[in-house]
Amino acid sequence: MTPLHLSYFMAFIISMTGFMLHRTSLISTLLCLEAMMLSLFIATSLCPIQLQTTSFMLNPMLILTFSACEASLGLSLLVASSRTHNPNNLQNLNLLQC
Amino acid sequence: MNPHANMIIMSSLILGPMITITSSHWVMAWVGLEINMLAIIPLTGQTTTTHEQFEASIKYFLTQAAASSLLLFSIINNVWNTGQFDITQPTNTLSSTMMTAALTMKLGLAPFHYWLPETLQGTTTMMTLILTTWQKLAPLTLLMMINQSLNTSLLVTLSLLSMMIGGWGGLNQTQLRKIMAFSSIAHLGWMTMILTLSTKLTLLTFYTYITLTTTMLLTIKLLETNKMSTAMTSWTKSPMLNATMMLNLMSLAGLPPLTGFMPKWLILQELTKNHMTIIAATSAILSLLSLFFYIRIAYYSTITLPPNMTNYSQQWRHKNQQKPYLPLMIITSSMLTPIMPTFMMIL
Repeated sequence: MTPLHLSYFMAFIISMTGFMLHRTSLISTLLCLEAMMLSLFIATSLCPIQLQTTSFMLNPMLILTFSACEASLGLSLLVASSRTHNPNNLQNLNLLQC
Repeated sequence: MNPHANMIIMSSLILGPMITITSSHWVMAWVGLEINMLAIIPLTGQTTTTHEQFEASIKYFLTQAAASSLLLFSIINNVWNTGQFDITQPTNTLSSTMMTAALTMKLGLAPFHYWLPETLQGTTTMMTLILTTWQKLAPLTLLMMINQSLNTSLLVTLSLLSMMIGGWGGLNQTQLRKIMAFSSIAHLGWMTMILTLSTKLTLLTFYTYITLTTTMLLTIKLLETNKMSTAMTSWTKSPMLNATMMLNLMSLAGLPPLTGFMPKWLILQELTKNHMTIIAATSAILSLLSLFFYIRIAYYSTITLPPNMTNYSQQWRHKNQQKPYLPLMIITSSMLTPIMPTFMMIL
C-alpha cells in the first residue's frame, strides 16, 4: 500500500473510531462524521495520481455537496432537540431500550 | 406537515432508491442512498414534543450516516485498487467485505441491528411501515448487484446470526413495533442467506416480506394498538381484522399453506441443492423462535375471546378509518402459495 493510500485509509479509520467512541456530546459525533467525509473527499481528489489520468472528475464535488447536506441535517436534529429538551442530550438516549 | 415540504420530501424519498436501483456507477448508487436518507430523516423526526421520536431519528441518522460513509470508503478503496467505478465488475476482497458491512448496517442485519428496534418503536406507525419496506429496497438491490464478489461464508454467517437474534430478541417484547423490528431482522436473514446462490429467491422473499409486513403494520394502525395489552382488547374495533391478523401472523411465521411459506420452502430447496443441508436445517429450526412470538400475539388477540376475558380494560373506539387496499393485501398475504410456479417464471 503506498503512503498516500495509507494516509487517507488511516484518516478514515481514526475518524470512524472517534465517531463510534463518543461519550459526552453529540457535536463530537457530527465532527467525526465530517472528518470521515473530508478524508473521502481528499481520497477522491487524489484519484488521478493513482489512476494516472488527467481528466476532470466531478466526483469530489458531488461527495462534498452531499456531505455538507448530511452534516446540516445532523446539526438541525441536534438543534431541534436542544431547544426543547436537555442540551446535554447524549446521556439521555436511553428511553427506548428493550 | 407543510404540504410543500411534504411533497419535496415524498418525491425525494421515491427518487432516491430509484437512482440507486438504476445506476451502474458506484457514486450514483451512493448518491441515491444519500438522497433517501436526507428525505426520510425529517419524516422520522417530525415532532420533537416527545423525546422518543427525536431519539429514534438521531439513532437512525447516526447509523445510516456511518453506513453511507463506510460504503463510500469501500467504493473509493475499490477505485484505488481496480481503477473502475462499475458496479457489475468484480471488486477486490477488502472492498467487498466493507461493502457487505456497510449495506448490512443500512439494512439492519445482525450484528448491526441494534438501532432497528428502537428506531421502529420511536416513530409513528406509517414511518415504521416506510422504514421496514421501502428503505430496504436500495441496500438489498446493491447487495444483489454485487453478489458474485461477495463472500458466501460471511453472508451465511450473518444471516444465521440474524435469524438467531431476530428470534431470540423478539421473545421478551410486548411492544408490537419492536416485534415487527425483530421479525424484519429474521426475514432479512432469510433473504441474505440465499443471496449468493440465487438472487431470484432473494427478490421473491423480499416481495413476500413487503406484502406481509405492510399488511401487519396497516392492521396495527387501523386497530390503533401499540402494545400487546391493547392488542388483546382490539377485537371490538373490528372483529374481521382480528381474524385476518391471525392469518397474517401465521403467514409471517412461514406456516403452510399461507404465502409466507413459499419463500422459505424454495430457499430450503435451493440450499439442499447446493449441499448446505445442515445450514438449511438450522435455519428451519431457528424460524421456530419467531413462530413463538407470532403465535403469542395471535393467541392473545384472537383466540382468547369472551367469555374468557383478559385483565386489561376496554379501549375507546374512535371513528373507524378505512384503508380500501387492506383486503387485497390480506388476500395476497395468505393465499399466494398455489401460484408459486408463476412467481418462479416471472422472477
